[in-house]
Amino acid sequence: MRVTMDIGTVEERAGPRQFGPKDDMPEEYRKAATRMIQFHANSEIMGAYLERPFIRQAPSLDRKLAFSAKVQDEIGHGQLLYRAAENLGIKTRKQMLDELANGEGKFLNCFHYPMDHWWETPMIGFFVDGAAMRRQATLKNTSWEPYAHAMDKICFEEGFHIKHGESILRELATGSRKEQELVQEAFDEWWPRILQFFGPTDDQSTHHDFASAVGLKTMGNDELRQAFLNAYLPKARKYGLEIPEYPRIHEHNDGRYEVVEDDLDWNEFWQVAKNDFEPGVAQIDSRKAAREAVAWVRESMETPSAGSSAGGVPGAAD
Amino acid sequence: MIWEVFRQEARGKYHTHCGNVHAPDKEMALMFAQIQHGRRRPTHSLWVVPGEEIGEVDAEETTFGGTTDKSYRWAMTFNTDEDFAEEIAASQREQEQAERADRAGESDEDEADETATGAEATEEGESA
Repeated sequence: MRVTMDIGTVEERAGPRQFGPKDDMPEEYRKAATRMIQFHANSEIMGAYLERPFIRQAPSLDRKLAFSAKVQDEIGHGQLLYRAAENLGIKTRKQMLDELANGEGKFLNCFHYPMDHWWETPMIGFFVDGAAMRRQATLKNTSWEPYAHAMDKICFEEGFHIKHGESILRELATGSRKEQELVQEAFDEWWPRILQFFGPTDDQSTHHDFASAVGLKTMGNDELRQAFLNAYLPKARKYGLEIPEYPRIHEHNDGRYEVVEDDLDWNEFWQVAKNDFEPGVAQIDSRKAAREAVAWVRESMETPSAGSSAGGVPGAAD
Repeated sequence: MIWEVFRQEARGKYHTHCGNVHAPDKEMALMFAQIQHGRRRPTHSLWVVPGEEIGEVDAEETTFGGTTDKSYRWAMTFNTDEDFAEEIAASQREQEQAERADRAGESDEDEADETATGAEATEEGESA
């Protein structure tokens, strides 16, 4: 007879890779883990869609190959994570993909903003992915074992993504004067969003306490943002990027950075978080359209005998 | 009936293939697997899978990837520094290990072990 573990026991036993599909976890744990992993999976998918156009727009064959490999990796990460979430028994993969299509599924703030130009790509490829990597490395120690296993493979692959992103940044930053100006403009635009990547400070974060008490999260937003700034602010400076005056960042004597929270646009952040931000809605809808256009591929896999006549005229993703 | 056996050394680690047993049903297969594969080495869990349920395609029937130049998808290709962030250095170390294993023609099992070792290295390095 299996008895559902009570929260007290969960908190007591919480540690790296402590719980798996064989454990009868309380609903509160399963819901919290589902929320977290679904968000992560959705972000992988939406990030991949944001970068996909640059397989075509990349200026060289090497960059095209790297971008196509990267986009393929990110879609794969999404799939790994949906499997890890599905194991919790709260939602199926189909439900989560449907929620992403109909605008209920939540995902990272940075992926709600359109990316139109090549010189913007290091903002995602280096800074946002770098921030994500900081966070993901800590999640190798999450208490939900399938999540940690997904993270092993994701972190294995992610090193290439970030070095590729930095390589593009370096190329632009050491390029023509025009390229340097354009990359600075992109940085000015993306920097505040990147600072908001780790969300509001811990005392304002709604889900932090429970997630950390049961070992799902091993590091708080504040600590992660600190760790990110320690590594990536010097990098921005190294490439001659000027850190915008606002939001103000105070550097304390002990090397700690403090971002002046009030200088950031939290109204926009919460609008983004609720999927109400117009450019983000456009991105959700364009992914939805791509997904619907290739529904016939999925249908023909489920029922090969139906042939291509089942879905009318076969469409393409773009 | 043949059952393939997968052993997990400790909680949180991967189940890796370790051999097979003859048994008339799942229950007996689990018992034989325990006796053959769970007694000498530390074991946290065993899986048994009917051998005939496992699909296989091998290098004689198809051409797998991994033989053409895919250097564009390895961290080592990009000569920016990786040491400014421990998690990036760890990712690259794991990729270097996997590449060495590929060259040496090691089995998938060894690769899985190496990846797991890399994961532990990252955990230790994270406090930095």
